[in-house]
Amino acid sequence: MSKSDAYTQAGKTAVLQNIHGTVEFLQKYPPFNQMDLAHLAYLVENCQLRFYSAGETIIKPTDGPVEYFYIVKQGHVHGERPHSAKRGTETTFEITSGECFPLAALIGERATRTEHLAAEDTFCLLLNKPAFVKLFALSNPFRDFALRGVSSLLDQVNQQVQMRAVESLGAQYSLDSRLAELAMRQPISCTPATPLRKAVQLMHEQHVGCIVIVDPALKPLGIFTLRDLRRVIADGSSLDQPIASLMTLEPFYLPPDASAFEAAIAMTERHIAHICLVEHERLCGVVSERDLFSLQRVDLVHLARTIRHAGTVETLAALRSDIRQLVERMLAHGASSTQITHIITLFNDHSVCRVIELTLEDLGDPGVPFTWLCFGSEGRREQTLHTDQDNGILFEAADSVTAADMRRRLLPLAVEINQRLAQCGFTLCKGNIMAGNPELCLSRHEWTRRFNSFIDEATPENLLKSSIYFDLRVVWGDPHGCDLVRQGLLKQIAGNSLFQRMMAENALRQRPPVGRFRDFVVARKGAEKDTLDLKVQGLTPFVDGARLLALAHGIETCNTLERLRELIAKGVIEPLDGAAYEEAYHFIQQTRMQQHQLQAQQDRPYSNRIDPDSLNQLDRRILREAFRQAQRLQSSLALRYQL
Amino acid sequence: MSQFTWFSGRGPALLEAQLDRRIGLAEPAALDHRPLGEQRLVVLDLETSGLDMKRDRLLSIGAVAIDRGAIDFSQQFECTLHRLDHKVGPSVLIHGIAPSAIANGVEPAEALLDFMEFVGDSPLLAFHAGFDQRMLARALKQSLGYSLRHRFFDIAELAPLLCPQAKLPRGGLDDWTRYFGLQVQQRHHASADALATAELALILFSKARRQQLDSLLALQQRLASWQRRQRAHSL
Repeated sequence: MSKSDAYTQAGKTAVLQNIHGTVEFLQKYPPFNQMDLAHLAYLVENCQLRFYSAGETIIKPTDGPVEYFYIVKQGHVHGERPHSAKRGTETTFEITSGECFPLAALIGERATRTEHLAAEDTFCLLLNKPAFVKLFALSNPFRDFALRGVSSLLDQVNQQVQMRAVESLGAQYSLDSRLAELAMRQPISCTPATPLRKAVQLMHEQHVGCIVIVDPALKPLGIFTLRDLRRVIADGSSLDQPIASLMTLEPFYLPPDASAFEAAIAMTERHIAHICLVEHERLCGVVSERDLFSLQRVDLVHLARTIRHAGTVETLAALRSDIRQLVERMLAHGASSTQITHIITLFNDHSVCRVIELTLEDLGDPGVPFTWLCFGSEGRREQTLHTDQDNGILFEAADSVTAADMRRRLLPLAVEINQRLAQCGFTLCKGNIMAGNPELCLSRHEWTRRFNSFIDEATPENLLKSSIYFDLRVVWGDPHGCDLVRQGLLKQIAGNSLFQRMMAENALRQRPPVGRFRDFVVARKGAEKDTLDLKVQGLTPFVDGARLLALAHGIETCNTLERLRELIAKGVIEPLDGAAYEEAYHFIQQTRMQQHQLQAQQDRPYSNRIDPDSLNQLDRRILREAFRQAQRLQSSLALRYQL
Repeated sequence: MSQFTWFSGRGPALLEAQLDRRIGLAEPAALDHRPLGEQRLVVLDLETSGLDMKRDRLLSIGAVAIDRGAIDFSQQFECTLHRLDHKVGPSVLIHGIAPSAIANGVEPAEALLDFMEFVGDSPLLAFHAGFDQRMLARALKQSLGYSLRHRFFDIAELAPLLCPQAKLPRGGLDDWTRYFGLQVQQRHHASADALATAELALILFSKARRQQLDSLLALQQRLASWQRRQRAHSL
């Protein structure tokens, strides 16, 4: 290596190490989090770091044209202007970590009109003007930010409000943000023939945890992560072999328009830490668990993993409080009710699976393959934190004698699983809808027979049961048997208009609490005076209506919102109506959850009853509209089934 | 470049070009009354194979420059030295430099020449500077036959002197960064530690200015009298 090479090399690694840390710091804030990594590195390389002790002036109007772009690295900066009316000065703005100044003066090539003071001991990064100008020309997000910052005072106020929200959210994104916005850097990729050593070198240089193997058209063929590298080294495989022989084939991918939430769910479900973004079969980004983590400050993926590997039921029970905290934080961070019910369902599923596995380990394999089913809100993936057990077991048996024998072997296990689930916070079902109940530990044929009896004899009791059991889903075990039962069920219902009519009647039982003259209909007396029930009066009409229409039209999914979407897709309901139902359902559920959170904070028991007068004007109006949508859904059912 | 190796009597074997570079190194500048804000200083942190100043060896150098009162991100130095027969000792757990990084490191004479060129005539700053000074001096002697005469300032001494209210008479780098609420990116990495030390230095210089100690010479004089007082105290 020649002298000059050695010098640049030495310089380069130094730049990488310390600059990398500063880049990481900046990446937490806009606009830096949207900037290309190379541009960001250029920015940091052209910065100097300065210290200002509390009270010290950073820039003032008499300094002349501004020479630097300032980014607060640590501390607090105040803007002080001469008071317009009185003598003295007034603080016009506050700038804190990750924020920048003075954009207007810098772009206007003039002096600042405001004196900027360090409100406390403060470190600022100073980018020199030539570098600022260059970045302004090169980087679109940087330019947008710089221009937007000076467009108007109102904008600035808005931006500050946003910034404050950013601070409490941890990033400017919510779980709804598009993945394309999160995948900030170019994905690192290589060809299948690349030797492993070279690929790892590339990952190291670029500070990434994975590399995507692509074909010449940039279509992802496989993925290789640091976790894989550990495995390769442990196996003693050669580092010189092509990466193609070591990569994980067909990596999981999402479109860049998918949401951060979908990515978090996929990572949690699949136990992966990286997701490729693919558009038109071309790799366009990679989102890592860390990208999401910094986004949420809520480590979903990690918690799911901990649950999945918990060694004892006691550990699982202890993790319940972590789940509760996570949900609280998500609510506080503005996650939607749909996202939260989805997350809770996911964690509950993980917990149930783990309890089953642990019980199997302790009691031994009963020697009968079985499937664990759940019903009701768990089946619809609409659970909130406090939830009952509604579960059952399905197994395959050739005849009723074998079935009875298998049931005998499965029941002790089922009872134990129910007990352990109770230990983990899944309250035992008062109606005994549990797998430990011999009536709910059935072979596939027995389930089909049982379900058919509900449909054939539509007594009020059977109608109630069908509203619980027909929202069924597999949590653990082979899903095939359950699919067959469901298909039989759908066929049976499609051909039974009497049953459909009875279900429709049932779906009209709960009337949404809005009257013709007064806006809300509330309980008149007793402890529930002046309140209405968000769940029974608000959500149930949607749940029942969606179930009826879905079952009648051969739709397999159980989730209310998904049912509505598929009903729209099948042309059963109008898209506009469907969207309105969806929004209404969503709002009522959200109100209910916020209410639960409030109750938890005030140490009151959970209740679904709310006094509409306790809501602010806007929420009150929206809630009333939401109930009216439930009313519309019901009248459309009445019309359809001529009730 | 001529590959002719020039052998001095007892000194290390250097290439002719290296010898030229050694001769070209700047003499350390004398301390003067220049305000701290106009001074160039180099803040360094060394990672070594251990704490024994006689036996252990220099493994990597991290340094940042404080120029005209600011840490200049375009002036940074980091280099891992190539060491033959480097054995992994317990201190690998602290400095975290993998044997492979040492194997890929820069040849020591080149690395040290690069570093001294980066330093130029600037005084040096370090936390527990006595250690870095001796380790660096020994490495320079062994690899280059060069005698280090640059002035070192010890942040571990300046900090309690300028900031007695912290009540950290024997505080370590972690104590002081915590005291001032500094965010350190990656402790025990030479260049990250150098950056943290440099940030400390900026805070301390700001305090020094307020105590009318606005030059290295003034600081040195105050330090000497303070040390005398400390010694008198302990007697």
